[in-house]
Amino acid sequence: MTARSFSGDPIGHAARIARLDVTGRENMLGPVVEGIYALIDQLDEVPLGETPPAIGFDPRWEA
Amino acid sequence: MEPFELSLTAAATEIESGTLSPRELTESVLRRIDETEEALGAFAHVCGDAARKAAAQAEREIADGRYRGPLHGIPLGVKDLYDTAGLPSTSSSQVRAGRVPETDAVAVARLLDAGMVIVGKTHTHEFAYGGLTPTTRNPWDTSRIPGGSSGGSGAAVAAGGCMVGMGSDTAGSIRIPASLCGTVGLKPTYGRVSRRGVASLSWSLDHVGPLARTVRDCALVLQAIAGFDRLDTGSVDVPVPDFTAGLDGGIVGLRVGVPSNYFFDRVHDDVDRSVRTAIGVLEGLGAELREVSIPYPDQVLAAEWAILMPEASAYHQETLRSKAELYTEQTRVLLEVGEMILATDYIKALRVRTLMQRAWADMFADIDVLVAPTEPFGAPLVGAMEANWPDGVAEDITMALVRLTSPANLTGMPSLSLPVGFDEEGLPLGMQVIGRPLDEATVLRVGRAYESASDTVGRIAPVVPPKG
Repeated sequence: MTARSFSGDPIGHAARIARLDVTGRENMLGPVVEGIYALIDQLDEVPLGETPPAIGFDPRWEA
Repeated sequence: MEPFELSLTAAATEIESGTLSPRELTESVLRRIDETEEALGAFAHVCGDAARKAAAQAEREIADGRYRGPLHGIPLGVKDLYDTAGLPSTSSSQVRAGRVPETDAVAVARLLDAGMVIVGKTHTHEFAYGGLTPTTRNPWDTSRIPGGSSGGSGAAVAAGGCMVGMGSDTAGSIRIPASLCGTVGLKPTYGRVSRRGVASLSWSLDHVGPLARTVRDCALVLQAIAGFDRLDTGSVDVPVPDFTAGLDGGIVGLRVGVPSNYFFDRVHDDVDRSVRTAIGVLEGLGAELREVSIPYPDQVLAAEWAILMPEASAYHQETLRSKAELYTEQTRVLLEVGEMILATDYIKALRVRTLMQRAWADMFADIDVLVAPTEPFGAPLVGAMEANWPDGVAEDITMALVRLTSPANLTGMPSLSLPVGFDEEGLPLGMQVIGRPLDEATVLRVGRAYESASDTVGRIAPVVPPKG
């Protein structure tokens, strides 16, 4: 997948969609958001095919 | 030896035989807290009067022939994340200042039914959202962190401020302080112990369990707290075995997996040496070593944080909007950022988790347990922001703290951390034993075999002030 873009005011936009007031905190949140997404993007390397999510996680292998 | 220096098992033996009373033991522990608390800050709340009353009641019951078992009259510290009836339960956060619940968390209720004596609430990193526990210091060197988030329990158990400290573990929060403070810590299988009444960090990753001085101590506590709870949606309805029955059964022929990747990457030389020496001890006791390759090593932290952060932000969604200024800045930032992770990324992490779980099951076809370092280093200095490695990588300290512990949260497998040595600074180092789902008995048996053959488990920390 292509790299994510954080140009413009992505933190403000994301916060507004989340209905969260982060006025004056955008500069502090920006690097953390970028760092977390850089980490999460490592999931892109895994071919998932038809794999379902582990919803209602059950640790048992034979359940 | 002072009573506070005894392990749970040793204290229980003396209480049952009548050579030590619960009141003597509790007074000794409370004096130890008095001596060390200013240096450590392990407790959010100490309840000396209530502890004395509970100890007196335990003493009367035992004198009347109503001995409840090995936990009866034993001092307990409870992480401030747990609800405790009539005691402040704040998750070490101003958001919940003054909060006093009317009921106990299920695990606490079970320990009280077994006769334990609560001496206080131990500090957590605020809402368990971090591995540092900034309120608290490490009893082996108070210029260093105890780890977290169950840092208060780790420091208290290691220093003698309680025999057992209850913890919670979402990315390693029982095992991290166990490793850095030199205690034993057990994260049971996901669903083995009810989490009802414990503030959630991440519903699908949260576990609760004990920190204690010895492996047998942890087994005794697990015995009391394990069991199905239909009101905890993660609880697993399976029989609870006798966790102490086979503890001393030995490990001859047991297949022990030794990772060839991931767990020994970027660890301090002293950690590498201590853990490999401990693995040699297991081999000397008859275990068969098998080299294994850890699947999806590059996705462990990605999946952990992509699941943990949105779930944490969902839990705090309302209070982040009504009481944002009451959170510490670090917690507030993480909660705000968690609101900005897309649902599709969260679901992708859950799908990778499915593959990871299957791959770990395949890896365990040839082994019975996996052994590995718990932490890549001894306790970092207070204020350290990064771990700097010989290959030039500067690793964020929180990421480094959870790097080796997160796999057992993602897979839900039981993991026991126990001390296997000290680094050149005299700081304890831990090894974790990871087992198949619901096979805590084997994990504990391996830990007990090591404990019996070494002298690194069960030590009391001297509470050393900062050097220089």
